[in-house]
Amino acid sequence: MIGGLFIYNHKGEVLISRVYRDDIGRQAADSAVFNSSGPLLEERLRNAVDAFRVNVIHARQQVRSPVTNIARTSFFHVKRSNIWLAAVTKQNVNAAMVFEFLYKMCDVMAAYFGKISEENIKNNFVLIYELLDEILDFGYPQNSETGALKTFITQQGIKSQHQTKEEQSQITSQVTGQIGWRREGIKYRRNELFLDVLESVNLLMSPQGQVLSAHVSGRVVMKSYLSGMPECKFGMNDKIVIEKQGKGTADETSKSGKQSIAIDDCTFHQCVRLSKFDSERSISFIPPDGEFELMRYRTTKDIILPFRVIPLVREVGRTKLEVKVVIKSNFKPSLLAQKIEVRIPTPLNTSGVQVICMKGKAKYKASENAIVWKIKRMAGMKESQISAEIELLPTNDKKKWARPPISMNFEVPFAPSGLKVRYLKVFEPKLNYSDHDVIKWVRYIGRSGIYETRC
Amino acid sequence: MPYLGSEDVVKELKKALCNPHVQADRLRYRNVIQRVIRHMTQGLDMSGVFMEMVKASATVDIVQKKLVYLYMCTYAPLKPDLALLAINTLCKDCSDPNPMVRGLALRSMCSLRMPGVQEYIQQPILSGLRDKASYVRRVAVLGCAKMHNLHGDSEVDGALVNELYSLLRDQDPIVVVNCLRSLEEILKQEGGVVINKPIAHHLLNRMPKLDQWGQAEVLNFLLRYQPRSEEELFDILNLLDSFLKSSSPGVVMGATKLFLILAKKFPHVQTDVLVQVKGPLLAACSSESRELCFAALCHVRQILHSLPGHFSSHYKKFFCSYSEPHYIKLQKVEVLCELVNDENVQQVLEELRGYCTDVSADFAQAAIFAIGGIARTYTDQCVQILTELLGLRQEHITTVVVQTFRDLVWLCPQCTEAVCQALPGCEENIQDSEGKQALIWLLGVHGERIPNAPYVLEDFVENVKSETFPAVKMELLTALLRLFLSRPAECQDMLGRLLHYCIEEEKDMAVRDRGLFYYRLLLAGIDGVKQILCSPKSDPSLGLLEDQAERPVNSWASDFNTLVPVYGKARWATISKYQGPERRGPELPNAASFATSGPLIPEESKETVQELPDSGALMLVPNCQLTAEYFEKTWFSLKVAHQQVFPWRGAVHPDTLQMALQVVNIQTIAMSRAGAQPWKAYLSAQDDTGCLFLTELLLEPENSEMQISVKQNEPRTETLNSFISVLETVLGTIGDIKS
Repeated sequence: MIGGLFIYNHKGEVLISRVYRDDIGRQAADSAVFNSSGPLLEERLRNAVDAFRVNVIHARQQVRSPVTNIARTSFFHVKRSNIWLAAVTKQNVNAAMVFEFLYKMCDVMAAYFGKISEENIKNNFVLIYELLDEILDFGYPQNSETGALKTFITQQGIKSQHQTKEEQSQITSQVTGQIGWRREGIKYRRNELFLDVLESVNLLMSPQGQVLSAHVSGRVVMKSYLSGMPECKFGMNDKIVIEKQGKGTADETSKSGKQSIAIDDCTFHQCVRLSKFDSERSISFIPPDGEFELMRYRTTKDIILPFRVIPLVREVGRTKLEVKVVIKSNFKPSLLAQKIEVRIPTPLNTSGVQVICMKGKAKYKASENAIVWKIKRMAGMKESQISAEIELLPTNDKKKWARPPISMNFEVPFAPSGLKVRYLKVFEPKLNYSDHDVIKWVRYIGRSGIYETRC
Repeated sequence: MPYLGSEDVVKELKKALCNPHVQADRLRYRNVIQRVIRHMTQGLDMSGVFMEMVKASATVDIVQKKLVYLYMCTYAPLKPDLALLAINTLCKDCSDPNPMVRGLALRSMCSLRMPGVQEYIQQPILSGLRDKASYVRRVAVLGCAKMHNLHGDSEVDGALVNELYSLLRDQDPIVVVNCLRSLEEILKQEGGVVINKPIAHHLLNRMPKLDQWGQAEVLNFLLRYQPRSEEELFDILNLLDSFLKSSSPGVVMGATKLFLILAKKFPHVQTDVLVQVKGPLLAACSSESRELCFAALCHVRQILHSLPGHFSSHYKKFFCSYSEPHYIKLQKVEVLCELVNDENVQQVLEELRGYCTDVSADFAQAAIFAIGGIARTYTDQCVQILTELLGLRQEHITTVVVQTFRDLVWLCPQCTEAVCQALPGCEENIQDSEGKQALIWLLGVHGERIPNAPYVLEDFVENVKSETFPAVKMELLTALLRLFLSRPAECQDMLGRLLHYCIEEEKDMAVRDRGLFYYRLLLAGIDGVKQILCSPKSDPSLGLLEDQAERPVNSWASDFNTLVPVYGKARWATISKYQGPERRGPELPNAASFATSGPLIPEESKETVQELPDSGALMLVPNCQLTAEYFEKTWFSLKVAHQQVFPWRGAVHPDTLQMALQVVNIQTIAMSRAGAQPWKAYLSAQDDTGCLFLTELLLEPENSEMQISVKQNEPRTETLNSFISVLETVLGTIGDIKS
């Protein structure tokens, strides 16, 4: 259980504080300065809150753990841009659960007001208090599904001070229904659904071009605007399924056998019937209304690495470095990669840099100790090169430059794991619309996670 | 952070709240209230406008109500008499037709922390428990726990508890989970909520309907349930199988813990479960949610303690990436250190070597200590890497490498030669106290093998005046005296100078006393000095061997998925014990923690002294290597001087035993393989007077006793007794670990 929740800005000022249990920050009370009725909650709270600021946000060294113990109180913190969210407890809780809760909290907030930034939090603080009130009670997580929460949260659209009779009965019916994540009686004029396959590809490559580790972590996010209680069935090119079907028709195996992928592990949204997945490997579910994450998966085999980075670093004497980096795009020529950024680290004692690149723009950023090379677009099966001469100041520092890896960012319009959506069928037995009437959109986005090449 | 001028703000807000024009305009009214709340969050004392806020609660605007209730919950303890005025409104709201208003009012009323509120909330809570809206029931159920907390003295209301137990059958999943939570708090004194068979089965059936928080909570409560039969146990496990693959890592961990605990008596089931969760755990370890990744890594380490090979084939997953946060890197290095085996040692060491030159000195040092840890098993490769690192001539690296060497020669005496060859030249790159101490210690103890040892120490003696750390001076005294014993000619002069300085000029009392002590010791004669300074060293490996030994899964199953693996067991004990001043920053167990050898008598050796009260007379000589033939000849020519049996259970691990015996200077001549029956070992040792001890250990398969026979080439009873007590200590320690 969580004793309290705080949101700080980067200066350590408290933007939001909500205390659920009395026990946190009681060290002041232990010192017996206060009378038996106990110090004012505010007082205790401030002690705990200040302690966290001094020990974590303003700490000189790097943070050594996301779980900090101050005065026998555990602070679990998560950082989003320059906002710190901290959950506080005195109990021996499950660390994973608390972090998951904080993530959920961030997701819910993001669903309401977008990016979690100091400004947004200040502008929406009433909303946040409302949310905190509904999500946690007495420190125990309650309802946290954005869709279901919408009924209870009054902010955003001030209209709702007079709730209609209909809405009131919804509150009652919604939670008494069998399905906690979808309310009944949803109607849309146009039945539409959007499927996004979002992948982040991670790579660690040795200077010789050997893959040290690579994995793709992907998510299938679905946005559904469907009426009634639709049954959905989702199919993808999962190796196990394809092989199973292949036994029936040998024909199909030859067609799609090559393209199937091996999923290392996958997890699903609560709405997916796991029993069916285990027995037939079919993914069927009644989706929540609006946006949700249908599944999360990870693959490690046969990953299409969208880019190869080939570094060449030569030290010319003690005061000069020559760097040449070639990037090769490795996908269909008809596709375009976007937002490509290559970050080439430079030594601390760099005095000047001269860059020549064939494509895009490159700049030396002294404050970041790196050459940042940006290319807006690049088609598949192309190659581009940058060469730089780095002038160094002579130093008597014996410390050798550690050569941090070259990192890369990009976005490609395909799934590096090779995952393909084969179908998504919708059945709604009660209302009369069929699978054909639903407008479906599928999109693949592959982004770079940690994509590093050592040099 | 109360800042100046808060009175003005309060006055202004008060005026605004009373202004009828403001009250008439809903938006403006709400705006003013929002400002009050904003100031409250920033830590300004807003209790001055309590009266006005109470008035503002009488409104139809739900947003405004919520804000005012939030305010009241914060300040009610300060103004209990005024808060009573608000109770009227709250009570009225509790019977509002809108379930949301009912829920909100009830929740706020239960959160008012002030004396005397109980009598007002009892009735609304009871009717809330029977409300037709589940939203209100959820609030009411937790309200029971809040009410109980307010009472303080724990009188349990039996009727209420029964009502809550019956609500466990509620339709709404959150009400069910809240009931469990509430009962747990109310019945804390009596050991919490009772999970009997019907309840357990009911909860198991409801599991799929719960959300992740509920599932995690229920899994936790199910830990308490003891299945009656094996059949039932496996039924439960089957039902829960799918939760090992849940999308929520928290639920996966909770399910894992439940499996481990329920299957206490079935080690193969436990192993199966750990294999099953390997995938989800690895996924969490490489997930983008860094904090979750950290928690997962802590648990991976926990599992590795029992199943060292569990993640070995996935070692690449634990390679650090440059942009990861510091805390993940440190954990990963620890994991790498633990999963190393014959197949991956090369790659892991290669990787760790890369980290040693990381920009972050902290991380680089952690990597070096990790290599030091691996060196206990793969000594040669690691010593070579560490030696190469010295070539970089960087201070922060050299100092840690030397400290690692010091620990290593202590634990793995076979690498002494290589270390001694690597040492010359290091002294130029060491500035800090820890590193200097380690270097000086090494020079003192193994000085006879390092040609330039006296000259390095001489430099330290020359600069002793400007030395800032007393600990280094102490170490220097001891080391120089030790070296003097093995290389008197080169050291006599500087020892004299050092002693003179320490006794005449040194200001630190401890150093001066140490100097005087050695001076007087030297006066007593060189033999005495030898006996004291070169007597057998403590046997450090025994404690460490225990640490390395595999721990059974059951020893940590109950700590799984709590904060214990995150903080480490020792630190958690201090946190939960409510004692001593708290320490800041989490403590990561690193290799440095055992690297504190006291200058004269290390703490560990004090223990040994106590254990072996009469071992002072016995001094076993290191490196007494007998050939097998000579041993055989002597063995048959002598009579058994002493024979005894020693209680022993289970098999013998020859390697462990051999290592432990080596530490106390008992050499192994021959030993049966592990598991051989009967198991035999022949040992030899020699003391400083040249007396030989030959020993036979015999373990018959059916006896639970080890037979020890000792032969001696000179009949001397008191040294024989000392020898046997040394042997017994070693066997006892090893035996304890294995049993």
